[in-house]
Amino acid sequence: MSTPGDYKQQHLIKMANQIAHSIPTRDDIPGQISAHMRQFWTTEMLKTLREIAAETPDILSEDVHSALQSL
Amino acid sequence: MNMVQQFDPAQVDFSQDLGTPRAESDVMITVHIDGMPVSVPEGTSVMRAAAMVGANIPKLCATDNLNAFGSCRLCLVEIEGRPGTPASCTTPCAEGMSVHTQTSRLDKLRKGVMELYISDHPLDCLTCPANGDCELQDMAGAVGLRDVRYGMEGENHLERSKDESNPYFTFDSSKCIVCSRCVRACSEVQGTFALTIAGRGFGSQVSPSEQQPFLDSECVSCGACVQACPTATLQEKSVIDLGVPSRKVKTTCAYCGVGCSFTAELRGDEVVRMVPDKQGGANEGHSCVKGRFAWGYAQHQDRVTTPLIRDSIEDEWRPVEWDEAISFAADRLNAIKSQHGVDAIGGITSSRCTNEEVYVVQKMVRAAFGTNNIDTCARVCHSPTGYGLKQTFGTSAGTQDFASVEQSDAIMVIGANPTDAHPVFGSRMKRRLRQGADLIVIDPRSIDLVRSPHIQAEHHLQLMPGTNVAVLNAISHVVATEGLMDDDFVYERCNKTSFKAWLDFISLPENSPEALADITGVDAETLRAAARAYATAGNGAIYYGLGVTEHSQGSTMVMAMANLAMATGNIGRLGVGVNPLRGQNNVQGSCDMGSFPHEFVGYRHVSDDAVREQFSSVWGVTLREDPGMRIPNMLDSAVSGEFKGIYIQGEDIAQSDPNTNHVAEALRSMDCVIVQDLFLNETSHFAHVFLPGTSFLEKDGTFTNAERRINRVRPVMTSRTGLSEWEATCALSEAMGYPMPYERGSEIMDEIAELTPTFAGVSFDLLDKLGSVQWPCNEQAPTGTPIMHKDAFVRGEGQFMTTPYVPTDERSTRKFPLLLTTGRILSQYNVGAQTRRTDNVVWHAEDVLDIHEADAEARGVKDGDWIEIASRAGQTRMRARISDDIPAGVVYTTFHHPVSGTNVITTDNSDWATNCPEYKVTAVEIRPSSEQRA
Repeated sequence: MSTPGDYKQQHLIKMANQIAHSIPTRDDIPGQISAHMRQFWTTEMLKTLREIAAETPDILSEDVHSALQSL
Repeated sequence: MNMVQQFDPAQVDFSQDLGTPRAESDVMITVHIDGMPVSVPEGTSVMRAAAMVGANIPKLCATDNLNAFGSCRLCLVEIEGRPGTPASCTTPCAEGMSVHTQTSRLDKLRKGVMELYISDHPLDCLTCPANGDCELQDMAGAVGLRDVRYGMEGENHLERSKDESNPYFTFDSSKCIVCSRCVRACSEVQGTFALTIAGRGFGSQVSPSEQQPFLDSECVSCGACVQACPTATLQEKSVIDLGVPSRKVKTTCAYCGVGCSFTAELRGDEVVRMVPDKQGGANEGHSCVKGRFAWGYAQHQDRVTTPLIRDSIEDEWRPVEWDEAISFAADRLNAIKSQHGVDAIGGITSSRCTNEEVYVVQKMVRAAFGTNNIDTCARVCHSPTGYGLKQTFGTSAGTQDFASVEQSDAIMVIGANPTDAHPVFGSRMKRRLRQGADLIVIDPRSIDLVRSPHIQAEHHLQLMPGTNVAVLNAISHVVATEGLMDDDFVYERCNKTSFKAWLDFISLPENSPEALADITGVDAETLRAAARAYATAGNGAIYYGLGVTEHSQGSTMVMAMANLAMATGNIGRLGVGVNPLRGQNNVQGSCDMGSFPHEFVGYRHVSDDAVREQFSSVWGVTLREDPGMRIPNMLDSAVSGEFKGIYIQGEDIAQSDPNTNHVAEALRSMDCVIVQDLFLNETSHFAHVFLPGTSFLEKDGTFTNAERRINRVRPVMTSRTGLSEWEATCALSEAMGYPMPYERGSEIMDEIAELTPTFAGVSFDLLDKLGSVQWPCNEQAPTGTPIMHKDAFVRGEGQFMTTPYVPTDERSTRKFPLLLTTGRILSQYNVGAQTRRTDNVVWHAEDVLDIHEADAEARGVKDGDWIEIASRAGQTRMRARISDDIPAGVVYTTFHHPVSGTNVITTDNSDWATNCPEYKVTAVEIRPSSEQRA
């Protein structure tokens, strides 16, 4: 059974991967993901996502990892 | 006396009944009415021309929102050079015509006609509810009738019984003069064709459907017939009960995004009736059952008018004075700030509140709370509209005014049900469809527009839920590959690099109708025909609703529609455009007012230094440059223990938001939940502070409807709570250390105008003068902007976006083989907080699940059975209704009643760009239930 913290993290993981998968124009996907996150995500959400990327890298898509490099 | 100098066209009072509709012609002709020359558009009736110069010709069957009928024979005139006494309503003016409206011959004829009418009419004027508000009575006076020579003893209709079945109006056939105004209003204005004249000759009578009681007929209770009736035959029960109104206040309806203008008619402080305003830009005199009749909730016994507080949600509520409630709330929020930081609190604004009320809440959150954790209930409906249209066109709003549809040649309705959810606009659309415009419906359900009286959709793309983007891509593929694009428009108006990328993408074989047919469930040739119809019609218009936005690809779909409109040149003029039909009255306004966590008022990002500096300067406080949390992020953070306090203005997230079990868990986790609402709603079960809200009848401010029209909302009665909502918000802000010392609502709008380029010209004074304006309203457009992107897109060049179809994660499986989609019906509104507290429940006492016969039979479910519906998120129970409006594999329900718990079963899947919940696709299984409620 998941803990409350997991619930929030699972949503962030899903959101990030979903953005990577659905971002409309397919050129420079990491750049678009980072631009999207910079525009809409809170500092705390980005911090949590970075921690997730560091602790469980396989759970995020390559494009999300690339996007995080430029954030 | 020189009559020529007396007529001044500017002095014509168009609010009065001019008898026949305005003629649409650029050719002006001049006629003489009783010697007075008047110039009118060709096609104008003699009756209207006469009314314009103040020569009001007696009439009964004529009224200026209906085509002339010529049946009552009261409006006879004499025309020089013409024989006889023609009816002025059906006689068009001709150049040089000389008309006499008052002669002894005409007096005699009119008196004779009136005498016949009155000989078969009850002579009970003194006790009649329409006494003093009856055209028959007025006309008897106008023609000088003093005696009825025929007596009242002969054959007549005076003993006919009343039909009291409708909860809002009576039908007293004994008072009917069979003028057919009600029948024509039902047909021409509403487009329902529920009324007819049954029988012939003396036996003719108005008949709902097949001589059924009104309640059992096809009547949709829009009130157009009641409005049209010149006698007390069709009469509001509220007028019968309370008497004829004694004062009037113009205001705006608070139900859907059409934003109809009404005249509230009162006796003292009590509303007697709401009458649709003929001068209203959005509705032009029409209404629906909600706006016209379902306003009684404002005085419902369930309303809470005293602030309530409690230490714990386990405690009983304690009624307190405003000061104590405000102090209690401020202390709790400040304590959370001190202990957990400013990002542990936030707020949600309501699309049911005025622009001014919304503005002060988001200002309080940003300035007093010190965070950008502000979001709006538009998050769960039209946030993808804001995102998608801003990306492609440059502004987060629809492109047209409602009247534009009257110039459309092909109308594409996607994921919207205008006749139920936006009925007054639906009627306007149906008028255009009856005139011959093509209709393309893209919807899993057979909504009313697909087939209704005199309406038949030429193309119904009955797609599987969740495949919108695939269908739009396939339509655009046809347009792109069959040479149906408007190359000149694209070349002159759009970004060429983005267009090239889009064209390459959309032309791929994988986007063809044939390749996508198995996914969408739409036959390829059917789709190709629809695409050709839209692209080649001339003026192609797109209207869409939550069936577009409430998907995991809602934002992508909005951009796909924008692509299609740009590729075919259907932007920037009358009759075209991309038009969101907003769910609530002020969705557009609440978004405009800076309710999103990343944007200030006017859709300007919080990270823009120049913009932030402007707001900081006027507000006198340092503002954050990073976006705040959206509603789902706030709820997630609450469950994880980081988010502790929330101010919820007029939204019932415990009922309306998806996966309500998760919402409840989040609310239960907080230390301070403040609910500002009319009623103790589902969310208030988790609240510590309840601040009583005001109904639209008490508000003083503005709403902005789906066509960007800013309308005044005027207080028609004194506040039941002692404070307006914006005053309560300002009091809380001040208690938290940030005063917002407004004296009146107009000052808030003045500040909005000062800070917002698209609102720069807006003020209460301007709205009072013009009636309404559509933003942008500023120096460049001092009276507003009905059509956007006329010569250039707001963002400069139109931006094409490639829109790959990405299936939702929510798939039907062996365990959950059916796809549930949700919507609403005509008589109810959203979570039903208002409409359930009116007589509208007579049409919808409970939510039911529509299920296809084959799916029902496979599960042993019969019509009316109790069933259990289970999804991955939860389960609930309701009754089943066998329906052929939906295809096999799809089930449908509404969420108007909290007991149904519809959103217990919707998931927390959401749009990739905006987190708008995916209400429209939930995999479920159905089985018969021995119990009745969950």
